[in-house]
Amino acid sequence: MSLFIQRMFDGLAEGSIYALLALALVVVFRSTGQLNFAQGEIGTLCAFFASTFTLSGWPVWLAVLVAMVIGFVIAALVERVVVRPIEDRNPGAVIVALIGVFLAVNQLSAMFWGVDARSLPSLFPTDADAFIRIGGAAIRIERLGIIGVLIVLLVLLFLLFNYTKIGLAMRAVANNQESSNLVGIRVGNILILGWGLAGAIGALAALLLAPSAGLTGTLMLGPFLLASVAAVLGGLDSPVGAVVGGLLIGLLKAFLIGYVDFLSDMLFPVMLVVLLAVLLFRPAGLFGTEKVERV
Amino acid sequence: MSEHLLEVTGLSAGYGQIEVLHGLDFHVADGEIVVILGANGAGKTTTMRSVSGMIGRSGEVVFEGNRIGSARPDAVLRAGISQVPQGRGTFTDLSVEDNLRAGAYTVKGSITGDLDRWYDVFPRLAERKDQRAGSLSGGEQQMLAIARAMMNRPKLLLCDEPSLGLAPIITQSLFKILGELRDEMGMSLLVVEQNAGLSLQLCDRAYVLETGHIVATGTGDELLNDDTVKQAYLGGVG
Amino acid sequence: MSDSPNDDDVIDRAMTEEIADAGVAGPSAPVTEEGEVEHSGLPIRTPQYGGLHWLGRVLVFAIPLGYLLIRVFGVTGIAGDGWSNSGLGLLADALIIAIAVMGVNLITGYTGQLSIGHAAFFAIGAFTALILTQGKVSTPFFGEENLWDPGWTLPVAGVVCFVVGCLVGLPALRLSGIYLALTTLVFVEAVRSILKYEEFAGVTGGATGIKGDKYTPPEYVFDFFGIKLPTGLDGRGDLNQWMIYLSLGLLLLIMLMVSGLIRSRIGRAMVATRDNELAAEVMGVNLAVIKTVAFGLSGAITGVAGALFGLKLGLAEADIPLFGLFGAITFLVAMVVGGAAQIWGPMVGAVFYVFVNELARSVGENPSESIFSFAFDEGTKLDGLGGVIFGILLILFARFAPFGAVGTFRIIRSKLVQVIPKPPAGSLAARAMAAEDD
Repeated sequence: MSLFIQRMFDGLAEGSIYALLALALVVVFRSTGQLNFAQGEIGTLCAFFASTFTLSGWPVWLAVLVAMVIGFVIAALVERVVVRPIEDRNPGAVIVALIGVFLAVNQLSAMFWGVDARSLPSLFPTDADAFIRIGGAAIRIERLGIIGVLIVLLVLLFLLFNYTKIGLAMRAVANNQESSNLVGIRVGNILILGWGLAGAIGALAALLLAPSAGLTGTLMLGPFLLASVAAVLGGLDSPVGAVVGGLLIGLLKAFLIGYVDFLSDMLFPVMLVVLLAVLLFRPAGLFGTEKVERV
Repeated sequence: MSEHLLEVTGLSAGYGQIEVLHGLDFHVADGEIVVILGANGAGKTTTMRSVSGMIGRSGEVVFEGNRIGSARPDAVLRAGISQVPQGRGTFTDLSVEDNLRAGAYTVKGSITGDLDRWYDVFPRLAERKDQRAGSLSGGEQQMLAIARAMMNRPKLLLCDEPSLGLAPIITQSLFKILGELRDEMGMSLLVVEQNAGLSLQLCDRAYVLETGHIVATGTGDELLNDDTVKQAYLGGVG
Repeated sequence: MSDSPNDDDVIDRAMTEEIADAGVAGPSAPVTEEGEVEHSGLPIRTPQYGGLHWLGRVLVFAIPLGYLLIRVFGVTGIAGDGWSNSGLGLLADALIIAIAVMGVNLITGYTGQLSIGHAAFFAIGAFTALILTQGKVSTPFFGEENLWDPGWTLPVAGVVCFVVGCLVGLPALRLSGIYLALTTLVFVEAVRSILKYEEFAGVTGGATGIKGDKYTPPEYVFDFFGIKLPTGLDGRGDLNQWMIYLSLGLLLLIMLMVSGLIRSRIGRAMVATRDNELAAEVMGVNLAVIKTVAFGLSGAITGVAGALFGLKLGLAEADIPLFGLFGAITFLVAMVVGGAAQIWGPMVGAVFYVFVNELARSVGENPSESIFSFAFDEGTKLDGLGGVIFGILLILFARFAPFGAVGTFRIIRSKLVQVIPKPPAGSLAARAMAAEDD
């Protein structure tokens, strides 16, 4: 039983990271219909920045905050400089450009920080006795902390989207850009804001993952794929779906590795099956909206 | 010249290489409803969009005595012109109230007064204020679109084919409301329509637009009794 | 227009023109001065030659090729002390990648299905070759004691990948755009996991992969009636040289086949699918068959390339970069830079890729000794330079030249020509226009 609880919290913690990344992907998808391929890599880059900051003596929370701001800026730049000009002319080419950003950002970290692994201290206490007993299992504070961060962020986002003018504008733009224009919303600025916000959230995911997973250039490669599957599973235009999807994938991974021995190395084949099952039988995902094609 | 609320001269606009409007002249006086009548492809929506700043154009647009350059939509809004787009353009995923709030995006200060007022005019919207706008009927969405545009406290309302897709009975009550906006609130309206009968009855004056040129103008009654107009838009003479 | 729906030839000819003429492929269907119709931006026929064209080719192809050839012949000069082995290796790599990209080009450039997963076929091909040559599976009737002759592994890799490709094509029928791209991405990783799986180590070698014996190439490329082309300078076959001949031969063969395919019914159906699926279906294209065949063929081609790669390297291991995500991106870079939907595109792109990669690698290893020495201290390394360059190139190409170096200059040229949109064939307007010309 205690093993089950252990695994459950492991899964929820890891799932929270996927949820954050999936959320970032969904925020962008809702407003522009694009999948930010480079989301994970921007996060990795921010984690590298954070590690340099902490090495220079900054407190961890400050390093994390500044790194998130960097994530915001980079993602906003990507929208304005890469995506927008291409989208106007040739929407199909956007994904190619985003793959280019993926590659460039990924290799940028190698260029400036080398290929050796680095460490990033955690926001939460990680010493040997930093755990809480729940139901007989020893749950590390860090895990709970990550889940906590997800919850706090969700609350903040909820407040932002439903109780502020900017949040209203973002929802409007995500729904109908032309009408948003008509009511005086500066659509371009809102798009930049959306991408920036997603960038910061994606950075947060990387910053939460790096301390335990170790910081290398490949930090977010796997998580990005898993978060994408999670986002699709939940419904690419549903933030709720992203979170649920992320947590589910996290739990799936934890229990797969834990209980089904021979499948523990087969994570991606399993994910492929999950992905195909969703896309073929319920393409809008669990919470997404079905799009009816009017021909 | 500047006694009119809206004065448009020599309006030409188009998309890329293709010019759709060829030098239109029309005006809207204070407190009147002006209809621009035209068939599909005549250039009605292009006219709307060039006045509201959605597309570039040449020619002069003077509003309340001030020239509006090829202004951006939000600048046009601030000057006091709101548009109800073709097909309603409601934010389908947002609630009715959120739609109204979005309409007041450029308004500074409290808007609770405006919300109350428009809920009074459109009680059906008040009933459904937390409902998702996409679940409303066509007629209700049209009311919402009008209310949303009015939330901006405009002096001139542009309506692009408000009767599109609506049953005749709904169109009648819709036009009745538009008339009330003029009579009771002193609003000025520029309405672009295909539906000749009802709109000519509603309006004070009208223009007939064909392939980017204004081919006739007059009061609503004059045009209703004009033979050519009858032939083309009202199903025949007599 | 033909009346009988069974008149294939007329329909063939009409099909591609119809789609463009009907304006269904996009708001504008410009007609170039050669009378070719372009739709959705990607040219459907091989480009014509012209002044600006040669400029593009020089920049992207000739310079890198020249560099590679110089490497091949050794820096000391053409008749130097034997050809540089590393240079030969690079050239062979370029040719192998070119073949791989031919496959990607077929499914993405011509059929419009964005696949970032072709590296999986590359891996499968390599593993197939090594499994067979190392006798990891029992194959009665073939090979001596299960050890295959390397040459025969190529067609087998092709067939295996064709089958896998068709299987992949089946779910792909219902997917498009990012969903498809995402699925192919997960597919790559899934294949990698399977190839790495310890339980299959008997066949695939698990985490360590399969190490092959050095592939001994034949002594002569051919030997007809005394006319011989040796593969090595001193009477022994040289692997890299042999690989160059083999790959070049296969590449040219595949280019011929693909160019024939494009002109055929199937080819035009593929392009029609890319440009507007709905219209294609209405025109009678069986989307299921076309997409499945396209995936199968493209997988097969990339698989053959993979087999060549495995044979050349003498090793097949799941963690090789070209077998995973980065391989898939590499192929994409080569395709985009060389020119999607162009027959010469993959070749141009592959040569360019190998050139830049090699340059970046050598600069990156010792930036203090390169021309950038002013900025770097001795001993610092600059990893990832190649990747950054390619990433930026992808962005630039997507923004300014989505049709690659070869295709872009054609587009520029066509913009200088006056565009007269053609009304749909058979419409009143067309007949009026035709009547005017009489």
